[in-house]
Amino acid sequence: MRLIHTFVAVVYKEFITVLRDRTTLFFMFFPPLIQIIAFGFALDNDVKHMRTIILDEDRSSDSRAFVDALVSTNTFRVVGEATSVSGLASAMRAGDALVGIQIPPDFSRRLRAGGNAQLQVLIDGSNSTPALQAMNTAMGLAFRQSLGILLRQTGRDAIPLEVRPQVLYNPSLKSPNFFVPGVIGMALQIATVFSTALALVRERERGTLEQLLTCPISRWGLMLGKIVPYLLIALLMATSLYVIMVGVFGIPIAGSMSGLAVATFVYVFALLSLGLLVSTMAENHMQAFQMTMVLMLPSIFFSGFIFPRDTMPAIFYAISTILPATYFIELVRAIILRGAHFSEYSHHLIILSGLGMLLFTACSARFRRTLG
Amino acid sequence: MKTDDVIIECEGLTRRFGKFVAVDQVSFRVRRASVFGLLGPNGSGKSTIIRMLCGVLRPSAGTARIAGYDVARDAEHIQSLIGYMSQQFSLYDELTVHENLTFFGRLHGLGRARVKERREELIQQLELEPYCHVLAKRLSGGWRQRLAMACALLHEPQVLFLDEPTAGIDPVARRKLWDILFELASHGMTLFVTTHYMDEAERCSQVGYIYHSKLIAIGEPDYLKSLPGVTPSGTHRLDVTCDHVTLGLRVVRTLAGVVNATIFGQSMHLLVCDDFDEALLRRELAQVGIANVDIRPISPSLEDVFVELTRARMHELEKVQLCG
Repeated sequence: MRLIHTFVAVVYKEFITVLRDRTTLFFMFFPPLIQIIAFGFALDNDVKHMRTIILDEDRSSDSRAFVDALVSTNTFRVVGEATSVSGLASAMRAGDALVGIQIPPDFSRRLRAGGNAQLQVLIDGSNSTPALQAMNTAMGLAFRQSLGILLRQTGRDAIPLEVRPQVLYNPSLKSPNFFVPGVIGMALQIATVFSTALALVRERERGTLEQLLTCPISRWGLMLGKIVPYLLIALLMATSLYVIMVGVFGIPIAGSMSGLAVATFVYVFALLSLGLLVSTMAENHMQAFQMTMVLMLPSIFFSGFIFPRDTMPAIFYAISTILPATYFIELVRAIILRGAHFSEYSHHLIILSGLGMLLFTACSARFRRTLG
Repeated sequence: MKTDDVIIECEGLTRRFGKFVAVDQVSFRVRRASVFGLLGPNGSGKSTIIRMLCGVLRPSAGTARIAGYDVARDAEHIQSLIGYMSQQFSLYDELTVHENLTFFGRLHGLGRARVKERREELIQQLELEPYCHVLAKRLSGGWRQRLAMACALLHEPQVLFLDEPTAGIDPVARRKLWDILFELASHGMTLFVTTHYMDEAERCSQVGYIYHSKLIAIGEPDYLKSLPGVTPSGTHRLDVTCDHVTLGLRVVRTLAGVVNATIFGQSMHLLVCDDFDEALLRRELAQVGIANVDIRPISPSLEDVFVELTRARMHELEKVQLCG
């Protein structure tokens, strides 16, 4: 009975408080929206239109045709021409161009003579991902053209060995498809953990906790009552984030909606419990903020949000296994992108539920009925 | 005191915070339906005692019982017996008067109809109608105190603990609050109040004086005033009303037989030896041009009592330090 009385009273109070406190509500809703928009657009690993400078010493139709072919891959964008090797080098050092293409004077002659025509592609390796892609694109183009020439010379109409790759779930290899579900996980995490991390700390600081302690409260009821209003708000927020994901980024939900709803519910519950746990440990606002930051940092790096977990050193992988975000990201990628069936992702859901229960039990157990 | 009359009972109640002893071996009993005043300077341990009695703080040693229930072990029973009004306002700022009452009513498990009934009763009793839908944070000090009291009374507790309820509120609100307290006591509620206002202490049916974590004296105000330590044998107290009391005080302090003299409003309170010559006092005052001298014997006030008790205790403490 106590549990129900406490729960009803606390839910009543928290709802009024949250709805009346517009600033808190704003700061719960606004940052996740910004995050999904900003991350969705900016965290684009697809390399396109890299600034390229050409040093064409050959000035033949062959050299121009090869440059045109490079540009038509969309990977390169010619921003200027250099007149000397040193000019090219200096433009790259200055960062004016990420790619420099040097075509020697005998390029066309050697090509036509059936010899070995060489050209040099200089790539700024300071950012490894685009550098790698520029290299692959340039080499791939040269190989295809060489193969075409060889096929013509030998009279064969097919290459001897060929790989036919088929990319599943994200056929056009767009990186927002990879990032946006993860961003939703991160955005939900920030909004939820902070909101409950401050819940008990605020009561402690304002002296209302002391008043509560003299009343016949149930700690389970108190904790549940603190969680439920934020749970509903967080689910509302998650829904709007999914709507943006589908509507703005055009990422369809391949799997079941109900599966996604359950995963989100369990994840948000675990996070709110984590926030409450922080709240039972922190003495004041400042400590609650700091603890929350420290707890959230690892999930940005180790949850598989940006870096794949499979390639992590063992210690980081171990950390990743206790983060709720890890399982949520696995779940949303499975459900949204791969359209996985329940049996194919249920193990993640079970672990995440376990984490949530554990965190909730921990915060209820930690809550003391006395001040000291 | 008959046992069934006792509602609060402390035995060697002690609370330590690290090495600091906030409450040291305090023992007392409070009668049912009485107004018990706990007095003492700031930091003497009053709030700590209240917090232990309300089950918010655990005693480090000793026991305290309310209506027979141990505060440390039977906290759950006690919570429905007591109401607590803490020193600083501790209700929800973002909630209105009405909503605060509803919240605490539900927390105490009163049914929907009962919450409504009690809420209306208290709003009427404490004259809170005009503020029903005002946010708690917009209320002034006196009204906050009334709201806090209403929240503490919702579940009809047997004992109401009030930690400095009148600190920082105006005299009219203070008077009104005490009127309400007496009305509650007349209906059989026990009130446990801490204060450092002497006039409030005078109104209590029983007063405990705590100094340096120890309970130094306890009893009815009249009993305390009759304590031998307050008016030592061979002395008595006089009230001297005259013009220019500040000048008068300087003169009085030079006279033989005056143990102690302080200004009290427009008069002086003297503690003098029984063989003190009142005629001498009149002559000396006349000499400096002070007229309209009126001398009459008085009994000590509670303030006198606590000044004397504190002085005696400080003297004792100094000796203890010399020993150590």
